[in-house]
Amino acid sequence: MSILADKDTYVVIQGGVAGVNAARRMAEFCYLIKRSLNVLAFVYPPDAGKTNEIPYGSGLVAIPIYKTVAEATKHHPQINTSLVYIGADRAMKGGMEVLDDPHIKVVSMITEGVPEKDAKILGRHANKLGKVFNGPSSIGIVSAGSCRLGVIGGAFDNLVLSKLYREGSFGVITKSGGLSNEIIWICSQFADGITTAIGIGGDAYPGTDYVSYLEMFENDPQTKAVVIVGEMGGDLEERAAEWYGAKKRRVKLIAVVSGFCQESLPKGMKFGHAGAKEGLKGEGSARSKSDALKKAGAIVPATFGALGPAIKETYQDLLRSGQVKEPVELLSLPKLPRTIEEAMKADEVMVAPLIRTTISDDRGDEPCYDGYPASELINKGYEIPHVIGLLWDKRLISKQEAEIIKRIMMLSADHGPCVSGALGTIIAACAGIGLSQSVAAGLIMIGPRFGGAVTDAGRYFKHAVDNKMSVDEFLTYMKKNVGPVPGIGHRVKSLRNPDKRVKELVGYVKSLNSKTPCLDFALEVEKVTSVKKDNLILNVDGTMAAVLVDIGFPVDSLNGFFILSRTIGLIGHWVDQKRQDSRLIRLFDYLVNYAAPKRREVPPLK
Amino acid sequence: MAKVLEGPGMGLMKKWGITVPNYVVVTSVDELTKLGQVNEWLKKSKLVVKAHEALGSRFKLGLVKVDLDLKGAEAATKEMIGRQVGSITVSQVIVSEMVPHKEEYYCAVKSTREGTDILVANCGGIEVESNWERVKRLALEVGQQPSPNAFEKVAKDAGFTGPLVKKMADFAGKMFTCFDSEDAQYLEVNPVVLREQDSELIALDAVTLLDGDAKFRHPDWNFAFAAEFGRAYSEHEMEVMAVDSKIKGSVKFIEIPGGDTAMLPAGGGASIYYSDAVVARGGKLANYAEYSGDPPDWAVEVLTDKVCSLPGIKNIIVGGAIANFTDVKKTFGGIINGFRKAKSEGKLKGVKIWVRRGGPREKEGLDAMRALKDEGFDINVFDRHTPLTDIVDKALQGK
Repeated sequence: MSILADKDTYVVIQGGVAGVNAARRMAEFCYLIKRSLNVLAFVYPPDAGKTNEIPYGSGLVAIPIYKTVAEATKHHPQINTSLVYIGADRAMKGGMEVLDDPHIKVVSMITEGVPEKDAKILGRHANKLGKVFNGPSSIGIVSAGSCRLGVIGGAFDNLVLSKLYREGSFGVITKSGGLSNEIIWICSQFADGITTAIGIGGDAYPGTDYVSYLEMFENDPQTKAVVIVGEMGGDLEERAAEWYGAKKRRVKLIAVVSGFCQESLPKGMKFGHAGAKEGLKGEGSARSKSDALKKAGAIVPATFGALGPAIKETYQDLLRSGQVKEPVELLSLPKLPRTIEEAMKADEVMVAPLIRTTISDDRGDEPCYDGYPASELINKGYEIPHVIGLLWDKRLISKQEAEIIKRIMMLSADHGPCVSGALGTIIAACAGIGLSQSVAAGLIMIGPRFGGAVTDAGRYFKHAVDNKMSVDEFLTYMKKNVGPVPGIGHRVKSLRNPDKRVKELVGYVKSLNSKTPCLDFALEVEKVTSVKKDNLILNVDGTMAAVLVDIGFPVDSLNGFFILSRTIGLIGHWVDQKRQDSRLIRLFDYLVNYAAPKRREVPPLK
Repeated sequence: MAKVLEGPGMGLMKKWGITVPNYVVVTSVDELTKLGQVNEWLKKSKLVVKAHEALGSRFKLGLVKVDLDLKGAEAATKEMIGRQVGSITVSQVIVSEMVPHKEEYYCAVKSTREGTDILVANCGGIEVESNWERVKRLALEVGQQPSPNAFEKVAKDAGFTGPLVKKMADFAGKMFTCFDSEDAQYLEVNPVVLREQDSELIALDAVTLLDGDAKFRHPDWNFAFAAEFGRAYSEHEMEVMAVDSKIKGSVKFIEIPGGDTAMLPAGGGASIYYSDAVVARGGKLANYAEYSGDPPDWAVEVLTDKVCSLPGIKNIIVGGAIANFTDVKKTFGGIINGFRKAKSEGKLKGVKIWVRRGGPREKEGLDAMRALKDEGFDINVFDRHTPLTDIVDKALQGK
């Protein structure tokens, strides 16, 4: 047997994320003791109508969320217990709502920082209705082998280690949530474990105190002894002592009290839980509590460390007198299914990867590019072009190569508002479209006619150089197989009006005195084509392409240099329009050649 | 509980119709002089000047001066402001009018388990403390609204007669309304005096403790709560409080000068048992600290930094019970970062670290702590099989 919570306990959880986490822990316990999940509903108005998916074993259980407690108990009339995880400012309202529901017998409030007055009102209301109001600030309630309410008991491994899968003989009542697990653990190591453990919360006036629970334990034949963990402040321990001393009790009482350090602290200094305040006249001190408990006949170990041995002694007495028998341990317990990550770590499963990457790894404390940590690259003076080299070509390029890439990017970062890309971005920006979509609108323009010829230019120049073609052979080949030579020709620039960007880049690269076979070939091609027609010059795409092929970048990556550089400009145009709060634009009629048929009558539909 | 200084405390009483003397809170003599030019009562009345700080025994410290005129009050203000008492520097004084009176009474309202106690006595000042049996009590259940008769009865029981019965009942009624409406936990007026000129009951001194948890429904609580232990908070304590107010879970830190055993335990309950164990073993606590409710690692790191900065420490107790949901690996990660930072700043020389913990991801957390040995930390790590406070016994062996 147990008190408060057992196999017939069914739960509604009031609240959001914290409540869902508690439900997960409760599901682990249900899985361990092989019962179905005892949480039947959530009450959380913002998500009413949806479900929370709670892992149970290797599956998921969908638990409905309702707007009110009444709805929850109407759909699930077995519900008799509520866990309150509502914020302190709304806890009172939620607590009243659930106490007033006729299905509910036990309410445990986990919320911390509930105003004292609210807690008292809730406690009194529950009392009047003959219900149990536990908390606030309660860690929960657990009955070994039958029911867990809240996160009390901790992680799955701890449930097993503390033998919470089967009943023992010790009841536990603590104010401190953190110590509840410790006591449960001690009871399982020094004795046969617990029946029920209750966290009553560390507030000054918990809704239900030691005495009420001691009375319940006294009436539970399975519970042979009760451990209470007290704190200085208030008079709950004194009341427990009074109860215990009042007449002969069936259960043994073991109690520890904290706060002796208070005696040696500077005057007036106090700390601990909200309830840990001494009375005005010194009542409520650790010493007065422990004296009262001793006087009433309780076993009061001098220190926390002596608690284990005291429990052991009590257990041995119970064994000797035949009141308890050594427990029979279960032979096999369910194991909590591991997550894939855990199983892989233990080398138990092999998973075929979905994707493969050869350039970067984010699994450490910082990303590594082709194996090099980003911070180390920064600290050793590497720059953006080197990162491009690592991520696009998996190699650490030289300082000189990096300088060329930097110049290419600077030269092609923007080309004014009129070109297709920038115009696309500006139109989108003026229509109120966000940054990433507007920039994407500009990037979409990059293709065979605008900025997208770098890759093709590089491909064919490289083809020619690799195959040692002459300029004539190359032009014949292109005419026959491809068409106009990518990288050659410009809409506005010509021999007489040369593209300054091309001149700049060619001039710099040539000044370096390194081998540039592709660029040399492209310039030879220009010599021939520009004679045929004035504007068939080597354009900026073609120049970039030839230079980048000479550096050794793979042909397929070449358009990336234009895309990357021009993104800088496109972002600039978007921010620029945004800053000016530009209005929506539309084309003027006079900029359109309306060549559609004149207005005419629609024939009847046949 | 949150203590409120006299000024804002009197403000709350005034709000609920309790007559208080005229008063001003000032931070400089100039301010008082200016106020004297516009407030008649400052020129005409006899005045009291008190240091407006969370200090006990102000009389003994010479931080209360009575029976002054405005000049005298200015002189007293000048003398008090800037005075250093322990770790507190007096930065404000409260100047109030003296109320000529012959009779002194007592009235207090306090929170009890069942509801509220209203205490009344027909003596006040020091007299009531030595004659506690003269204090009469009206016990109310929470939510219960007492009748005027009930207040009159307790006033009569306390020995009030004639027109004073109604006056005292009325005064106690207002005290209760103030208490109940302001989420107070303790209100005490000692003394309540009978003003000679109009025979009105005046609250001459106020002790006000409010429920800090109820702040959310009191937008007019625009005052800071005072430290409750008779000194101002230190810089490090305030830094930790600032972190505490920002996070899920909690971190707490209080310095105790002169100690040699530093505390860095988890949990509000366990932390006190660890402190008890240190005292029981003859150690001297250097601080109180506690983290709980699965706080973020950076918050625990800040707390660790403050603990490592305590002067003259020999041991650090990183204790904790078996956590319910606090992630041991994550919170230990914060502590480890704090330790590393402290070490790189030259702290922790000759300091021994003692660790005991259980809970979610305990193995990973404890392993990470153990690994600090290789970095040159003097660290001893124990798991759940070592009883809670045994690390204190080990740390303080030979004491």
